[in-house]
Amino acid sequence: MASAELGKAKAQQRKHWDRKWIPYVLLAPALITIFVIILSPLATTIFYSFSNIDLIRDRTTFVGIDNYIELFSSRLFWKAVEVNLKFAAIVVTVPTLIGLFFALLLVENFMGRSIGRTLLILPWALPWIVVGLLWNWVVNAQFGALNGLLYTLGLIDKYIPFMANEDWALVFTALASAWRQTSFSAILLLAALQTIPEDLYDAAKVDGAGVRARFRFITFAWLRPTLTIVLLYNVVLGFLQFDAVWIMTQGGPGDATMLISVLLYRYTFINFDLGMGAAVSNVLGLITMGVGLIFVRLIYRSHTTYA
Amino acid sequence: MVRVGARKLGVIRKIATYFAFFCLLFWVGFPVYFMLITSFMRAPELGAKPPHWIPPEPTVENYREVLIGKAGEVGGYGSTTEFTRMMPALLNSTFVSVAVVLSNLFIGGMAAYAFSRFRFRLSRAAYFAILMTRVLPALSLIVPLFVILRKLKLVNTLWALILTYTIFILPLTIWILREYFDTLARDIEEMALIDGATRWQAFRMVVAPLAVPGIIAVGVMSFMEAWSEFFFALTLTNSLTYPPLLMSFRNLHQVNWNALSAATVIGVIPPVIIAFVFQRYLVRGLSEGAVKG
Repeated sequence: MASAELGKAKAQQRKHWDRKWIPYVLLAPALITIFVIILSPLATTIFYSFSNIDLIRDRTTFVGIDNYIELFSSRLFWKAVEVNLKFAAIVVTVPTLIGLFFALLLVENFMGRSIGRTLLILPWALPWIVVGLLWNWVVNAQFGALNGLLYTLGLIDKYIPFMANEDWALVFTALASAWRQTSFSAILLLAALQTIPEDLYDAAKVDGAGVRARFRFITFAWLRPTLTIVLLYNVVLGFLQFDAVWIMTQGGPGDATMLISVLLYRYTFINFDLGMGAAVSNVLGLITMGVGLIFVRLIYRSHTTYA
Repeated sequence: MVRVGARKLGVIRKIATYFAFFCLLFWVGFPVYFMLITSFMRAPELGAKPPHWIPPEPTVENYREVLIGKAGEVGGYGSTTEFTRMMPALLNSTFVSVAVVLSNLFIGGMAAYAFSRFRFRLSRAAYFAILMTRVLPALSLIVPLFVILRKLKLVNTLWALILTYTIFILPLTIWILREYFDTLARDIEEMALIDGATRWQAFRMVVAPLAVPGIIAVGVMSFMEAWSEFFFALTLTNSLTYPPLLMSFRNLHQVNWNALSAATVIGVIPPVIIAFVFQRYLVRGLSEGAVKG
């Protein structure tokens, strides 16, 4: 009896002693590497954005907010913002809605559910660059699958060069991004749907709740935190997507698919204007951080109300 | 009355379900199927109008070309080395991805455990700061990052990729694992501690086995990101891994679309197999962890 008490006391003591330094040791590798690889480059990028960097003469001069003034007064930047907003609108709505639709389908009990679940994962398993290639294939003007399908169905008799048209190019680059993101959204939503206790529905049925009421007050209410996370992912992707768009159009035709990230690439790697590139990336970073903060707030709020 | 209505509702529901199922098949299948059949066709068959929906004479020639690389025989690409670089690139990608999964789980697991089980100074702020790095445009860090990695003499090595990928995936890992650890009952762990186990023993014998679905889910996700990452691989190395090599494949002057499709299919086999094998864990790990919100 006494020894058990003693053991307890010892464990308590050790736990107390533990708490002081163990978390710091556990966190050290993550914090150090994040500092070196992310935070210090971030500080450099912020510094760059206030400088004019002459790569040829290897000279860096401080120019204050000139880069930002130049950026905000350039037609190209506002064009990129406009393009990006349209792009993001598709990349946010399509995966969220279709993802929810597929997730609701795949909790149903029906033949083919496991095939459906396996297929659903497929797009998510493909690299962005492959997604870009895949969709290039779909919209190709000479042998594209979409043209082939429309032709086979007799809806067109001449292949349409989709990617030469500015509107179609934006729609299809956004759809390509939405395609992979739909799977990810659906996986998250499906995972959440599976945790809804069945008796909630039974209880609601007993209380006389109809299909619509059950969806609204059980399914949708339960999904809300997950939907917030899904939306966060989709909005962030809408502003940070680069790979798939780059391989499909490189920003063209004209500037029709020039997202802010593509503009950033152009300044940095084509014009070698590191100062302007850094300014664009800081603006982009502020946009995504702002979006991120809003959503983290929402997530934290749902934390406190549900848990 | 009610019964008839219910049965009718059941039929409608069934029809709706299968219609939705067909939509899913089409949505996922259409782009993938076309790439797949192209890889089994010969170049002249590709431009047919109306297109072949089934390869008329299936061939594995494209795959042989991509894997074994008979650059000498296919005149158009005589001077390029893309074909012979495919196999090494796939091996490099495998090495990088596995290394990223392991290091990420190790570093991220420790951090997640610290956030889940300890309350310490600035824990909330540190957690929040780590999560926020996830929404930074990675693209924007490339120039300073390149300078740092050059100082460390890591440019154009696989280590540069392993290091950067691990760190960019860390926030996601820490977040999911932390939420997962939070859902695991603390009492069992406390009991083990009271029984005289050390923290490490308690973690290894009690927490880790219970957290397996979460750990696998995170492992699969980090494998996917590491296998797929394109931009850093393009700028930090000379196309050592699969994604940038595929891009240069595509940029050849005379693109052989059939060979390109074969190269694409080969390169996505590893992540697709992993996703299929672990899909159950993926959904379960996510549902018990992160998405609980």
